[in-house]
Amino acid sequence: MAKVKMKRTGFVLDMTPLVDIAFLLLTFFMFTAKFKSEAESEQKFQIKRPKASADTAKLPDKNLAIIKIAIDSITPNDTSYYYEMSNEKDRSIVYATAPGLDDAQRKKMQIKASLTTLDGLIRETRITNLNTKFAIDADKRVRFKWVSDCMEVMRKNRATAFNLVTDKKQGM
Amino acid sequence: MAGGGSLGEGREKTKRGKPSKRKKKKRVGFHLDMTPLVDIAFLLLTFFMFTTTMTQPQVMEMLVPPEIDKEVKVKISELYTLRLRADGKLFYHLAEDAPQLMELKNLKRMAFEENLKQKNRLITVLKIDDGAPYEMVIKILDELNLAEGDLVPELSKLKMTRERRFTIAPMTDKDIEEIKSL
Repeated sequence: MAKVKMKRTGFVLDMTPLVDIAFLLLTFFMFTAKFKSEAESEQKFQIKRPKASADTAKLPDKNLAIIKIAIDSITPNDTSYYYEMSNEKDRSIVYATAPGLDDAQRKKMQIKASLTTLDGLIRETRITNLNTKFAIDADKRVRFKWVSDCMEVMRKNRATAFNLVTDKKQGM
Repeated sequence: MAGGGSLGEGREKTKRGKPSKRKKKKRVGFHLDMTPLVDIAFLLLTFFMFTTTMTQPQVMEMLVPPEIDKEVKVKISELYTLRLRADGKLFYHLAEDAPQLMELKNLKRMAFEENLKQKNRLITVLKIDDGAPYEMVIKILDELNLAEGDLVPELSKLKMTRERRFTIAPMTDKDIEEIKSL
């Protein structure tokens, strides 16, 4: 029997489940997305964090002051301290009152600091808001001297409890 | 059209066996072109997928003693000293013994055993050379924290609660001299 040649008509694909899943994923990623803070978008360096496995605590979001010890990406031997705060209200007060800063620095979100300016910044932060949590976010390649000096400055200002920022070790 | 209308019809007559009470309505099948919608949805989806970073930084909590010039007396037999040399090599000694080289992978076991022997009495002192890489410091702290995780259940078997005694002490010239030639 001869096959009847069917004329092809445009076929319709039911895209509903596809769209369902696509939107589900989209909403998931939209809600979980966390964008870089203003201070981070300013920075030109990237910190390679050391890896640790024992701790599971997460970095607090509120009232956080981070001291970053980074190796500048342009000149590899240039290590500096960078100071940033997450609380905007406190930040404006601290940056305006901390000694040893010029006007250009005060406007920035992230301050490149020496050890003495860091001392002033930490002191002002402690005066402004006693609940501020401190964290040291240091590159794993820096010498320990940078970290111990920073810890000493914090100790002087009675910020004796602080966090060291690490990355999770994979495969543990 | 694409079966949109006809799909419901059969169902309305019998809903789980029972005859439906709903009034039968003749549906006019209607078709919506979803292509642009899907385009945009996928565009956004790929954007958010590529921009999100799943790994959040973790923190390691540290406590340093406040600046009080008060002498704290400790027994030297309870001191477990770890020294990190500038080249990243780790040395340990108990009380006043001679310092010995230690592999990082043994640190967890050693810290665990020594602590268990002295049952909460042991004070771990970590002395770090200024030139030592920060990565090593974190690794050591991590190993000690891991040992802590083993110690807590072990001591609770002995009806004891773990009290951690740990400090970071400055590395003196004498310390450097002692481990220099090892």
